[in-house]
Amino acid sequence: MTGATQFEWGLWARQIGAIMRLEMKKTFFAKRGLWIYILAAAPALLFFAYTLAQKNRAEHAADLASIKAEQTEAIQIKMTADDVREILGRPYARFKYMDPDLPRSRRRDPDAMIEVLMYSDGKANYEYRFRQGQLYNVNVRTQRLLTDDNTVFATIFQLFYLRLAIFFGCVGVFMNLFRGEMIDKSLHFYLLAPIRREVLLIGKYCAGLLATVVIFGMSTAFQLWSVYGSLTAAQSTEFWSRSGASTLSAYMGVTVLACVGYGAVFLVAGLIWRNPIIPAATLLVWEGANIFLPATLKRISIIHYLQSLCPIPASPSGTIEGPLRLLVSITEPTAAPIAIAGLLTVTVAVLVLGAWQARRLEINYSTE
Amino acid sequence: MYSRSFTVAVLWGSSMNDTGIVFDNVSKFYGDVLGVNRVSLTIPAGITSLVGPNGSGKTTLMNLLTGLIKPSRGTVNILGISTNEPEKLFRIAGYCTQFDSFPKGLTGFQFVYSFLRLFGMTHAEAEKRSWSAIERVGLVEAAKRKIAGYSKGMRQRIRLAQSISHDPKVLILDEPLNGLDPLVRAETIALFRSLAAEGRYVIVSSHILHEVDMISDQVILLANGYVVAEGQIKSVREEMREHPMQVLIRCNKPALLASRVFETDHVVEARIHSDGGGVLVKTRDADSFYRLLNHIALNGVDIESVAPADDNVNSLYEYLIGSEEVTR
Repeated sequence: MTGATQFEWGLWARQIGAIMRLEMKKTFFAKRGLWIYILAAAPALLFFAYTLAQKNRAEHAADLASIKAEQTEAIQIKMTADDVREILGRPYARFKYMDPDLPRSRRRDPDAMIEVLMYSDGKANYEYRFRQGQLYNVNVRTQRLLTDDNTVFATIFQLFYLRLAIFFGCVGVFMNLFRGEMIDKSLHFYLLAPIRREVLLIGKYCAGLLATVVIFGMSTAFQLWSVYGSLTAAQSTEFWSRSGASTLSAYMGVTVLACVGYGAVFLVAGLIWRNPIIPAATLLVWEGANIFLPATLKRISIIHYLQSLCPIPASPSGTIEGPLRLLVSITEPTAAPIAIAGLLTVTVAVLVLGAWQARRLEINYSTE
Repeated sequence: MYSRSFTVAVLWGSSMNDTGIVFDNVSKFYGDVLGVNRVSLTIPAGITSLVGPNGSGKTTLMNLLTGLIKPSRGTVNILGISTNEPEKLFRIAGYCTQFDSFPKGLTGFQFVYSFLRLFGMTHAEAEKRSWSAIERVGLVEAAKRKIAGYSKGMRQRIRLAQSISHDPKVLILDEPLNGLDPLVRAETIALFRSLAAEGRYVIVSSHILHEVDMISDQVILLANGYVVAEGQIKSVREEMREHPMQVLIRCNKPALLASRVFETDHVVEARIHSDGGGVLVKTRDADSFYRLLNHIALNGVDIESVAPADDNVNSLYEYLIGSEEVTR
């Protein structure tokens, strides 16, 4: 490497640092960016509330514990309510409701109502249902399962957090970096300095990336802490002994890569389009329609690679009902190294396009 | 070995050569709208004024000069550097724009300092240069205040500080005296003169002819996107002498003044103003007329004010564009 090139690298690094310092106020502390924090905080608060509710339910169940799990083995179908009471004692709750399977005319008959007796062993709730005085159904509700938590987190993370929160957060941060300054008529400040336009683009990209990674990374970390930090000792052992560390790092990594990918797209979109809503809406539709696309087209999206990297699959087809379900296209996730390489390749390609556009950029505020 | 402490020589760069500022058959169209057309110019060192009414193409020419817009046709070079190379261009050029908007939340000092950090300067170097530039425009006391709270004149001055902060060889100033009070105006003009005296290129746009007179070594006159005249002020003014200069004199004895001035050859018309409080004189020799006026003032006529009545860009254009039309 020549001395001149070394000089350039050093200069560019300092210029990028200067741009990032300038952009910091706008990306982190702008009043108009408050909604981005709300977007990032929403799932974190949701999971926090979910954890509190789970804890509360567990404590409540412990308070109500009156039986031991082994006692329930003696309960047989077709037993009467009195037989069950004799074995398990007094239930913590008892109620009746109309049998929905009966014809309307017979539903009000007191003898035809379904009776429910509820017991708890401190870990699970047992619901015994009696129809016409005989036990016909036993429903055991475990207080909290690790697999449930995994699925809940994966679903919300992939369907809401990636597709909406980080997506729109990146729209808010990255599109403003150029377009916002054109609207404010302050972009010329940068264009009057001896900076290569490519360096300006990278500087702004790094500033946006830092902001989104900090904001959404913190949110992801808080969500993970809320869900996995409140496991019982046994669940925690199970979690960490299986794949705890890799699960957490995968979610954090996916968050960063989402900012990397969406950030590049929206930064360049802000350079090219006057109205950022159009490209954002187009990409939103494209990413949203990803589950219906054939395998080849799926790969021309950011969400496909991000979902491939998520440690626990969340099947969006599970949330789709009716005829649309037939259109869902199930594709094998892309292998992690290829997914990462694919996403970074898309990012670099988009940034190269952005650099070309930045080179041609003109200041014409009157048309903004 | 590379030193992080920049010197003027480093800032101006090695690719610079003293070929002047060259517009080579430059045209700029905004869609179907003409910005400037077929401009070929070579601007030498010293103070050059771009003069023209609003919409004549002054700002377009300056934006072309700094690469903020690209020519539809032709090329622009500043001291041998293409305007497509901002990384080299702005090491030797500073541009004080007319855009009255700033990055949000910055103080005056931060505005200049941040700009210099974009050059890759160290904190110490940028700080030193910032204060030096701010001091030159007389804004030290307000430097730590937010720009959002500045008056129009202060905003103009901080932009000026920014444009001179890196000690550019070429300084481009779009209506730099707008909003400045008379004292600061005079100081700013003196600053331009001192920069020009150092061999720099100072290009100033203005639509106020009086200002141009005071500042410039040469002028470029623009109308509707075309250069209608260019050269040293003296020669342009000589051309203007075909048209008598109009001066309005407010005094206590307008009839006496009119009769006295009309005795001279260069006065072609002397008309009592409609309100009876002054005389409108048309003269072909302004210098001789002002000498005469001094003499009259010493001999019993109490003169309240003397103001050129057609010493503005509109009158100039009436004359110049009129003759331009004739020559086409």
